[in-house]
This record gives sequence, structure tokens and C-alpha cells, in this order.
Amino acid sequence: MTDTAQEVYPESRSANPYSREVAADPIPFYDRLRAECPVANMLGMEAGTHIISRYDDVKFALRHPEIFSSDLVAVDIGQDRPLIPLQVDPPAHAKYRRVLDPQLGPREIAHLEPEIRAIATATIDRFIERGACDFHEEFSVSFPCTVFLAMTGLPLEDLDQLLRWKDNIIRPGTMDMEKDAEIRKTTGAAMYAYFEKAIDARAAEPTDDILSRFQRAEIDGQVMSREEMLDVCYLFILGGLDTVTSTLDCSIAYLAQHPNRRAPIVADLNTVPAAVEELLRLHTPVMQVLRVVAQPYEMHGVSMQPGDHVVVMLGSADTDPDEFGVDAGEFTLDRETNRHLAFGGGPHRCLGSHLARLELRVAMEEVHRRLPDYAVVEGAELVYSPGIREIERLPLVFTPAERERP
Amino acid sequence: MRVEFDAERCVGHGRCYALAPELFDADDHGHALLLGGAAGDIADRCEDAVRAAVANCPEGALVIAEPITEP
Repeated sequence: MTDTAQEVYPESRSANPYSREVAADPIPFYDRLRAECPVANMLGMEAGTHIISRYDDVKFALRHPEIFSSDLVAVDIGQDRPLIPLQVDPPAHAKYRRVLDPQLGPREIAHLEPEIRAIATATIDRFIERGACDFHEEFSVSFPCTVFLAMTGLPLEDLDQLLRWKDNIIRPGTMDMEKDAEIRKTTGAAMYAYFEKAIDARAAEPTDDILSRFQRAEIDGQVMSREEMLDVCYLFILGGLDTVTSTLDCSIAYLAQHPNRRAPIVADLNTVPAAVEELLRLHTPVMQVLRVVAQPYEMHGVSMQPGDHVVVMLGSADTDPDEFGVDAGEFTLDRETNRHLAFGGGPHRCLGSHLARLELRVAMEEVHRRLPDYAVVEGAELVYSPGIREIERLPLVFTPAERERP
Repeated sequence: MRVEFDAERCVGHGRCYALAPELFDADDHGHALLLGGAAGDIADRCEDAVRAAVANCPEGALVIAEPITEP
């Protein structure tokens, strides 16, 4: 394997976090970045893009939206307007979160556990008799997406379409910035039109799904406008369909390759919540979030100017020995202090984190209960996507077992 | 031992109510709620859970305040 620490260039104060090699093995890259180049330029870009990587710097940036703003309309992901609430800063941000948070709060989400477990059971049933699966395709993608459709009341047959849209936006992958932007724009337009219809249907005939509940929710005595609803839906697709997938890919690939780390989890499923937190920390599937500088700021002698982009390297913060100790790069199931930032921090902390945690816990419990001896197929090469760390194919083998539902 | 909770800093990581459910709960938004025992004196049997909850708050919204001893 390439030594990913090579992707840091302290002499030119730059780094390349977006390679497949770094995505597959980011820790050597993060270690060198923090130590030698705590504020780096993106390799090959003009000045004005800053990669920050130390825990304290990352935490500071997340907590200070007045300096490191999320007002990122400049970052083109095919959207017409800022995504709500991600790309809206305080104080307007708070009014959206007041309405959206309770819909995805831990109390509301807890009711979904039986349904989420039934979806996990059915998903595993589809491949467990075979003793083999592509875990990425057949579980990591399928499971959270089925949960998402159940929650939003969108038809199951739209799944492939929604997945294509999500992939077009997050990783259009033409290696040509203009072509990528074009794909995003076309996809964005299709997504707006799709959700227009879904919103119309619910306006005509209110249901009990989360889209209907967003529609009824009031901000300062007013329901959200059509545009505001669409901006929430757009973010929902991007947040709801990709992040749990990548967390499951990274977690299961790691435990498949480290059976000694898996054994205590299999032996005692009560350890799953701690395992989930430690896997979120160690693998931080969303490697970075983006911010834009709103007022001049100096960090480690580097001057940041309004309009500069900042790559806030969550994954690097989460493996910083200054915060997590000498074993920061290791999986430690009984880690006493784990203040990881895998869901971000500050006012923009992940809105869907309570749902994500529930999905991850249920998935990890069911997988380790039903196929505890999984292993990666010999010779399979795992290809990680940069940015949000999905694995293209994750072929596993395990002892076949019976289905649990007819 | 008492715990002080700074609601302004809490953004709903949810670590405290996961680690010490005897003493913290979630409100509808996922932010922390201090249950009765945490603001006042906490029984010694909960001390480990409380220390874990405080140590694991990424926002530093929880602080252990030692009891004020009467002169």
C-alpha cells in the first residue's frame, strides 16, 4: 500500500486529502498533516483553501460560525439556494433547527427501533442463506435507504432513482470540474421536481411521514414555504442516504480484517454502543466538512481572508493524540474519553445523528448476532471513495444460516 | 459532588444521557436535561457514570462542581 503520509508536502505547505489511497488509509496522512502542516493548502489549488487538522483548531472552527461560516452557496452541489439548515448560519439557523430537531430527536427516533430492526432482519435474510454477499450493495446501501424511504413515505420503487441522484451529486466522478457541475445541476433540477410532487401529494392528502410533519411544523407561527421545504428535502437525500452507508462500510471492513477487535463485540452485544462510537471516531467516514471564512483570521501564522474556503478535517481531529492519547490511531473498545467530532460540533452538528446512531446500533447488533464470523473474500481489493468513505464493493463470506422471516 | 450544565453550549451530542441515563435525559431536541439528582448532591454510586458523562461532552457543557463545604 502507498504510504499516504506522502500526500502531505510541508515544503510547499500543501496536501492532497482527496485521493483513494488517503481515503483507504487516512491515519498516516492525518498524523503528518497535524504535525508538520496544521494549516495546509489544497494541492494544486491557488492560495485561499486551508485544510485544518488539529483537534483544537477543528473544534474552534466548528464552534465559531461567525468566523468560519457555513454559508457555502459558492460550493456548487447543484442546489439553487442554500440547503436548510446546513448552509444557513445563526441566528436564522436556530429557527430551522428548532423545528427540525424534534422530528429527528432521540425521543421521536426511539419509536422507530422495531421498524428499523425489522428492516435490518429482512435485509440480512436476503443473503444469509448464501454465506456470501457484497456487504456494501446488499446491506450498507440497502438498509439505511429502506429506513429513509419508510420514514419519508416515498415509494420503495423510487430507491434506485434516488440513489443515482445522490451519487451524481456527491461523486459525479467525471474528473472534469465543468462536467461535474453540469451533472450536479441537471440532477439538482430533477430532485427539486421530484420533491415538488411529493410535497404536492402531501399537501393534498396529509400523511404521517416526516415530510408531512415538516410541512405542518411552524416557525414563528408560519409553516415553511415551498422553497424552504425543498431546501430541507435536498439536504435530506444527501445526508440520509450516504453517511450511514459509509460508516457501515468502514466499520464492517475494519472488523472483518481485525477479528480480535470483533471478538469482544460478538461475545457481548452490550458493547455495541461503545463500539459504534469508537468506530465513528477511528474511521470518521465523513472525512471533512467545508466552511468559508467570514472575517479575517490568523491560524498558526497563516492569514485567512474572507471568502477563503476551509476544509475542516474531522477525521484528523478524531485521531489527534493530543486529544485522544498515544493510542489515538487504535481501536479501543473501553476508551474512557471519546469526545469525537464525527458528527461535527457547534451549531451545525449533524441533525440526523440520533437516527444514524440508532441505525448503526441495530445494524451492528443484527450483523454480529447473525453472521459473527464474516471475513473479506480473499484477494478482494477494497476501494474507498475520498471525502465520504464508501467502499465500492465489500465482498464478504460467512457461515450460512437460516432466514428469520418466511 | 454537583454537576453544572451550560445549556448555551449544549448542541445535542447526546453523550451524557447515553453514558449516565440516571442523571441526564434528552429533551425533544436531543439536548441534555439535567435530572434532579445531578444539579444537587449526587449519590456516590453514580459518580463514575457522571464523571464519564462530563468527560465525554465535546462541547464542554458539563462541569463537575465539588460540593461547597460549610465552614
